[in-house]
Amino acid sequence: MGELVIHRVEKKYLNHNGNPSKNPSFQLYPMNLSIQEGEFFGIIGPSGCGKTTFLKCIAGLILPDSGNVLLGKKNLTYVPPEKRPFSMVFQQPLLFPHLKVIDNVSFGLKMQGINKKVRFDKAKDMLQAVGLSGYELRHPYELSGGQQQRVSLARAIIMNPKVLFLDEPFSALDPDLRQEMRELVKQLHQTFKVTVLMVTHDREEAFQLADRLAIMHEGKLLQVGTPKNCYEKPDHIKVAQFLGSKNMIEGVVSKNKFIGKYFEVSLGYNLMNKTKGWLIIRPELFKRMCPNDLNQTVNNVHIQSFTGRIKEVSYRSGFVHYKVDIKGQSLYVIETNQSDLPLVNDQVTLQLNIKKLHFIPQ
Amino acid sequence: MGIRLKNVGWKFLMILFLILFSFPIIPLIITSFSAGWRWPEILPDQFSLRAWNYVFSPYAGTWEAIGNSIFIAITVTFVNILLCLPAANVIARMNFKGKILIEGILYAPLIIPPFITVMGIHLTFIYLGFTESLIGVMIAHIAPTLPYMLRALIISYQTIGLQWEEQASMLGAGKFNRLRFILLPHILPGIVAGSSLTILVSLSQYLITFLIGGGHVVTLPIILFPFISGGDIGIGSAYMIIFSGLALLSLWTMNTLLKRYYKARITFIG
Repeated sequence: MGELVIHRVEKKYLNHNGNPSKNPSFQLYPMNLSIQEGEFFGIIGPSGCGKTTFLKCIAGLILPDSGNVLLGKKNLTYVPPEKRPFSMVFQQPLLFPHLKVIDNVSFGLKMQGINKKVRFDKAKDMLQAVGLSGYELRHPYELSGGQQQRVSLARAIIMNPKVLFLDEPFSALDPDLRQEMRELVKQLHQTFKVTVLMVTHDREEAFQLADRLAIMHEGKLLQVGTPKNCYEKPDHIKVAQFLGSKNMIEGVVSKNKFIGKYFEVSLGYNLMNKTKGWLIIRPELFKRMCPNDLNQTVNNVHIQSFTGRIKEVSYRSGFVHYKVDIKGQSLYVIETNQSDLPLVNDQVTLQLNIKKLHFIPQ
Repeated sequence: MGIRLKNVGWKFLMILFLILFSFPIIPLIITSFSAGWRWPEILPDQFSLRAWNYVFSPYAGTWEAIGNSIFIAITVTFVNILLCLPAANVIARMNFKGKILIEGILYAPLIIPPFITVMGIHLTFIYLGFTESLIGVMIAHIAPTLPYMLRALIISYQTIGLQWEEQASMLGAGKFNRLRFILLPHILPGIVAGSSLTILVSLSQYLITFLIGGGHVVTLPIILFPFISGGDIGIGSAYMIIFSGLALLSLWTMNTLLKRYYKARITFIG
């Protein structure tokens, strides 16, 4: 059927108090996005950034002010949601309470006018795929939250949608269950070869599941790319912030050198002089030197050493997180724990490969 | 001991209520079977079936009146449902300018006597030829009954968010199917409650029916009134009993429907 293309989709919500043109309450700026067939695409952003609105615009539940939604060569912009080949799982399971589980799962097929026997057979297979065989005749209120969300997934996938939308589908579940559901979704994605568009505010979820990501902030798409690319080479300081960068140092570039308030480092690549911006140092890039290694000379010109004092140390299941104060600049370091934990106030020497530094111009 | 006492107290209360409620009906029954009941007789001297014979005689037109009453009440109920479903939907779940004003107008018959409204539309009805006709009476009955239906439906709609319909439309359900499979099952209790009230209020309309129907549209209150206001008390009592029976029957029917509905399904959770 081809890729899903979102072309300049835009939506404004007007503020009823005051002049609407000057003071729109919320705006989705023109959005461009294309999602490949079979892809697992994630849209992440903080709550209130408009990701659900964007999803609903694509699904047809909200009519955008302008722009087009295309699937392959077909323009779906003015097709009502019930006629689009999409399915959606919402944050809440939204099972129809007056229908039994099997009637819920086969609801979509019923709307297509498929006869009872065929749709019940399909529904049973689908329930088996989500691990709920034997629950056919229960009512939704007899199921736990996780089971309800599984039924909801089954109900969406049974439609054999061209694109499956997931709108923060696991955020109402507890962490263990969430992990289980992620694995189930991943598995269903592979089994049924369905294109998935997921919206979430959970970084971990997005990184675990998505082939590609889009990061949204205040109604704008800031960056689209693979999770690795978005994390290691953020285009925008907001992306870095949202993806949990720990070391973001504001400063200016001068003669291929980054100069911050307390911190200076040579950059591994050329940049225009006087460019203002932020230097991003991923906390796992640092390498702590043992006292014995210190006397060895470093041959690699890209390796720079810094000496400072350890501030806070915390141990988190196999990893050590600590802060190092280097001449007034606090840096966050994460490393796998090998033997002993570093001690607070110890002097420490860190090595850094400057080729892996990332600079975001302002 | 405590439980026993509580039980005894409860039983006592129930009996007291039964006596209080049935007390006014006892003289009604006695009067309807008496051949005149004068002071200082504790019970009437003579009993007769005169009143009941008259009520069910072909020339009394009782059956026609019962038929008209029920027909008007049921039609008004259906019209109310059709009018209130979209209105309640919009008022309960959407925001727009002038919402309070529209709500106020729709609820107005609860506060302003419907008689005033009907006085106003009487002239228009004469012009349109709706007076002295069943249709005119039905339309006139909408004024006092609509607010009850509306209120019941608004409350029902408030308990169902738009997300259920969004979910249904993502599953391919068009407008009609969403109404049929999602909305109606959910707001059915509200429809039943609103219908009970509509039927009761419609059944007991006298003035409006009289004004618009001009005596040509005969409902139970129309034939009942002359007998209790200075006419034959015996026949009036018989009619009163029929009237109460009719009202009770309609309430009971609605109640049974609701109970059956609640047995078949349970409330909305999560």
